[in-house]
Amino acid sequence: MTRYSYKKPRTKSPFTPELQLIVSFFGVTILMLSLTYLFLVYKDKQFINEKNAMVKEKLFLAHETANIDKKIAYIQKQKLTAEKVLTQNMVLKDSIANLFDLVPERITLSKAKLLKNGLVLQGITPTKDVYNFMLQAPLRSIFQKTYSSFYPASNGWLYFVSKNYMDEENEGLDSEN
Amino acid sequence: MLSKIFEALYVKIFVNIVIEKTKTLVYIEMRSKKELLNHAYMDFPTTHLSDAMIEFILRYTQESPYYYIALLDTSKEQGAIPTCTKSKLLTYYDISESEYKCFNNTWSLYTSKSDLYQLEKTYNAIGLDFIFSPFTLLYHFFKDKVSENIALFVLVQEESISLTVFQYSQLLYAKYIVVEHMSVEASGNDANLEELEELEDPSFDDSIDLEDMDVDDQIESLEDFGDIEDLDSIEDIEQFSENKDIEEELFESEDELRDGEDETFQADYQKFTLIEKGVSNFYSDDRYESEFIENIYIADATGVSGDLKKYLEEEMFLNVYIRKIDLCVELCELSKEELN
Repeated sequence: MTRYSYKKPRTKSPFTPELQLIVSFFGVTILMLSLTYLFLVYKDKQFINEKNAMVKEKLFLAHETANIDKKIAYIQKQKLTAEKVLTQNMVLKDSIANLFDLVPERITLSKAKLLKNGLVLQGITPTKDVYNFMLQAPLRSIFQKTYSSFYPASNGWLYFVSKNYMDEENEGLDSEN
Repeated sequence: MLSKIFEALYVKIFVNIVIEKTKTLVYIEMRSKKELLNHAYMDFPTTHLSDAMIEFILRYTQESPYYYIALLDTSKEQGAIPTCTKSKLLTYYDISESEYKCFNNTWSLYTSKSDLYQLEKTYNAIGLDFIFSPFTLLYHFFKDKVSENIALFVLVQEESISLTVFQYSQLLYAKYIVVEHMSVEASGNDANLEELEELEDPSFDDSIDLEDMDVDDQIESLEDFGDIEDLDSIEDIEQFSENKDIEEELFESEDELRDGEDETFQADYQKFTLIEKGVSNFYSDDRYESEFIENIYIADATGVSGDLKKYLEEEMFLNVYIRKIDLCVELCELSKEELN
């Protein structure tokens, strides 16, 4: 309400065209900067999340790698064992084949027992001589110690038990049949 | 809130326009809060808004959005009424065609609506913020005096005389008088000059023709002066001197009035007669509470000569005090007050 004048003063606005231009320029600039800042903050947060996820994944993979390494080591061990078993089996097979090659046709084996460092044979021979010449001789060439015992069978043949041992240095198969 | 902050940051520019008889005065003040930064003054030889005036004003107003353009009302149909009551207003003036404004809840100002519209239309290119009445200007200028005992306050402009009577800040009477300028060739001029000559040589008019003198009549008339001793008594002299405004006299003595020149002589006499008529109207009109006026304060915007003072003192027995007024500066002060 005016006190002296007949007329009220016009409303004055501080927003002159120049000021409007300046304000709009700075407004747009601040808006763009704010949006860029928000975008960077969002991206930063996103990268932190991704980093955390990757760290977790890395830890998981490291754990998995360790597990796999363990498995590989176990499989390698299994493989070595399998190879060893295969070799041993082959050696055993050959040994058994050789053993049966050693036994002459006139002697019949009833039991053969393979020891770690020895061989026990039971069977029936027509005579002691057949045994001594045809079986004991090749066995002595293989084993350092050979012990034989005989007892008569009902048909006049002789049952025999032959125990053959090797020295410790010539360790052979460690498995038993 | 925000606009207040901006307002404090910007410079305030006050453009004050006073239209005179043949020219327009423009005074511009640039202020920062309460400090005056710059001011400019220019008069233009036109009574309308010229291109040069627009250019001059825009040069300053473009510096801040907070600019205020004030104009002194020149309407011939303006005045003031010693009441604010609507029903009483009509006993003084028909305000149906006028814009009126109650002032201090005690008196009213009015001016012609069509003249206000015309002013706004004329100044449309720059716009107007304030239109002040010469009566408010006068009230503001003599603010220290209107609150005192009854006195006549006159604003003398080239084209008009605004006459008011105030008693303890209450308006008793107001009149806006348009000064019709008399040319030397005017028919009524001779009569006026004769009248002036008579005034200049009072001995001629007041001389006593001893031949025509009737002694008895004179004695009767002299009886009326029976109380002459009372008049000369010390008490009356003291009372008279009490009503004199010594302070104003001292203030006035600093601004010496120029001696009357031939061209101003006639104008001053015309002003005197107009003031005299105004005062007699105040005394004679029953609508106004007339009281005896002893002091007259004149706000002089034109540069009146000592003759006017002499006429008023000698013819109306008034104590005359004249203050120079710069209308533009006073208009600026009013604008500042209006904004506070």
